[in-house]
Amino acid sequence: MPASRFNAFTDHGIGIGLRVPHYQHILEKKPVVDWFEIISENYMVEGGRPLHVLDRILEQYRVVQHGVSMYFGNAERPNRDHLQKLKALTRRTETPWISDHLCWGSVDGRFTHDLLPMPYTWEAVEWTARNIREVQDHLERPVAVENVSSYAEFHASEMTEWEFLCEVVERADCGILLDVNNIYVSAKNHGFDPVVYVDHVPVERVAQIHIAGHTNYERYILDTHDHPVLDPVWNLYAHATGRIGRTATLLEWDDRIPSFDEVHREALKANRFLPNGKALAA
Amino acid sequence: MAKPLPLNSEQPNLAELQRLIANSVMRPLASGDRSHRANAEVAAQLIKPNDRLDSFERLQLYNQQYWWRILGSFREDFRGLRAVLGERKFERLAVAYLEACGSSSWSLRDLGRGLEGFLREHPELIAPHGALAIDVVRVEWARIIAFDGPEKPPLDATKLTGVAPEHLRLELQPHLTLLEVAHPVDKLLGRLRLAHSEANTASNAVAASQSRRAPRLGAKLSPRPIHLAVHRVDFAVYYKRLDPEAYRLLSALRAGASLADACQTAFADSNAPSETAAATIQQWFATWMRFGWLTN
Repeated sequence: MPASRFNAFTDHGIGIGLRVPHYQHILEKKPVVDWFEIISENYMVEGGRPLHVLDRILEQYRVVQHGVSMYFGNAERPNRDHLQKLKALTRRTETPWISDHLCWGSVDGRFTHDLLPMPYTWEAVEWTARNIREVQDHLERPVAVENVSSYAEFHASEMTEWEFLCEVVERADCGILLDVNNIYVSAKNHGFDPVVYVDHVPVERVAQIHIAGHTNYERYILDTHDHPVLDPVWNLYAHATGRIGRTATLLEWDDRIPSFDEVHREALKANRFLPNGKALAA
Repeated sequence: MAKPLPLNSEQPNLAELQRLIANSVMRPLASGDRSHRANAEVAAQLIKPNDRLDSFERLQLYNQQYWWRILGSFREDFRGLRAVLGERKFERLAVAYLEACGSSSWSLRDLGRGLEGFLREHPELIAPHGALAIDVVRVEWARIIAFDGPEKPPLDATKLTGVAPEHLRLELQPHLTLLEVAHPVDKLLGRLRLAHSEANTASNAVAASQSRRAPRLGAKLSPRPIHLAVHRVDFAVYYKRLDPEAYRLLSALRAGASLADACQTAFADSNAPSETAAATIQQWFATWMRFGWLTN
C-alpha cells in the first residue's frame, strides 16, 4: 500500500540499493534519488568508512534498512547481540520500517549466509511469527518480511508458500516486502502460477516491493541480481501494483553492478508499469 | 486458507530439519562418496524432486552456493595468504578451515577471526611457508579490524596538563593493532596491491579480474623482527613500521601501564642518553597524536 502502518505512513517512491561501487558518484554528484535501501549488516560495524559514508548519505537522502541475516524462520530465538546492534543502526538511520527475509539460515550459531527456504508447516508458522513479533517489539519499528526465491521444496510442507506467508504475517501482525522477482523465480522453479501467488497476498500489508534481475539456466532459474529486470517480472510487477496500488519500489542490483546512472534508469522503468500511469517519486 | 494436515510421522520437526539441511549445505563439495551419499539421503528424505531436478540436485544448488559465497569472501579477505600459498594450497586450507570453524557471525567480515589459531594447530596446511603464512594472516586480520573497528575520540592534549607521567594512563584506538612479525609483510601486501591494480588497469572486465589467478609472492625472513602498526587514517588503512622502542612503549600503554612506566619499559635495553630518549619520545607522540592513535 502507498502509505500504511506497515511502512510508517510514508510515501516512498522508487529507490535503489546503496552499493559500494556507487559511493563516490553519489557523494560527488548528489543525484536525485527518492530513497536508498541499505543492507543493514554492512553498516552494523563500529567505525570506519562504511559508517562515515552512511552518515554522509543520511545527510541528503532517505534510507530504509533491509537485512539478510535475522533469519526469522530459524527454530531458535533471535540473537540478542544482533538485535541490539540492529537497533543501534535504526537509531542512526531513522529507518521508517525495517525488512528481512522469510527464511532461515543458521543453526546452533553456525551461519550459512544464505536465505534457505522454509518448510511450510504449522510449526514453522508458529516459530516464524513468534520471532518476527520479538524482533518488531525490540526494534520498535514496523517489520516487513520478504518472500525469498527458492530452489527446493520440502516433503513436510502442509500448505503453499503464499498460504504460509499469509499465516505468518497475520499472526505476527507485520508487513510484507513483496519481491515480485522472487515470486517469478520460485514459480518457475516449482511450477506454480506467479499470478495466483500475487492474488493471494493481503494487499493491505504490503509495505514495499522489490524488483531485480535473474538468470535462466536450462533446468532452473537463479536469483542473481546481476541483470536488468526481465519482461515477465515487469509484467508481474504491473499486476501486483494493479492490486496493491502505488507502493515504495526498490531495484536490487548486487553483482556485475553497472554505473549508477544505468541502475537508476532501470529502476525508474517501474513508472511505466504503474496503475493509472501515475509515476512514483524518484 | 490452508487447513492443518496430520503431520507425517517420518518428517523431522523444524529444528531437526534445519540441522540436517544446514549440515548438508555446509558439507564440502568434493568430500568423497560417503559425504555424497549422506547428502543424497538427506535430500531424498526431505526435499521434493520436480520434473527437471531430483532431490539431490536441488539440495546441491544450495550446497554449491554456500561454498561459492563463503570461499569468495575468504579469498577477498586473505589475498596475501593466497599469494603466498598459491591457488591449490590456499583452496585446500580454506575448505579445511571453513569446514572446521565455519562462520559464527551474521557478518562474513568475521570469517577469518579464528584463522591464525587454526593454522597454528594445523601447520601441515601451510608448510613449507608456515612462518610467513602466519605473519601474513595476522596482518590481514589486523587490516580488517583497522577498516571498520571502533574509533574513540582522540586524546585532548590540553587535559593532560599538570598530570604526572606516573599517574597518566593513555589508551590506544581500538582499530590500531600492534604486531611483531618476522617477514616484511607490509612490503609483500604493497606488491600485491600493485599487481592487482595493474591487472585491473589492463582490463575493464570486472568479472575477469575477479576470477584471475592470484600472483605468487614470497618474502624472505627479516634479519630483525619488524614492528608494525596497522591503523586507519581518514578511513583508509595503512601499515606503519615502528622502532622497537616505540613498539614496546605503545604495547605497554595498551597493557595499561602509566606513561612513565611505558617509557621506562621502552628504553630498558637502550644505551641512549635520557635526553635523546626524551626527544625521540616527544617526536613519536607528535606523530601518534597526528594519527589520532591516542585516546583517554
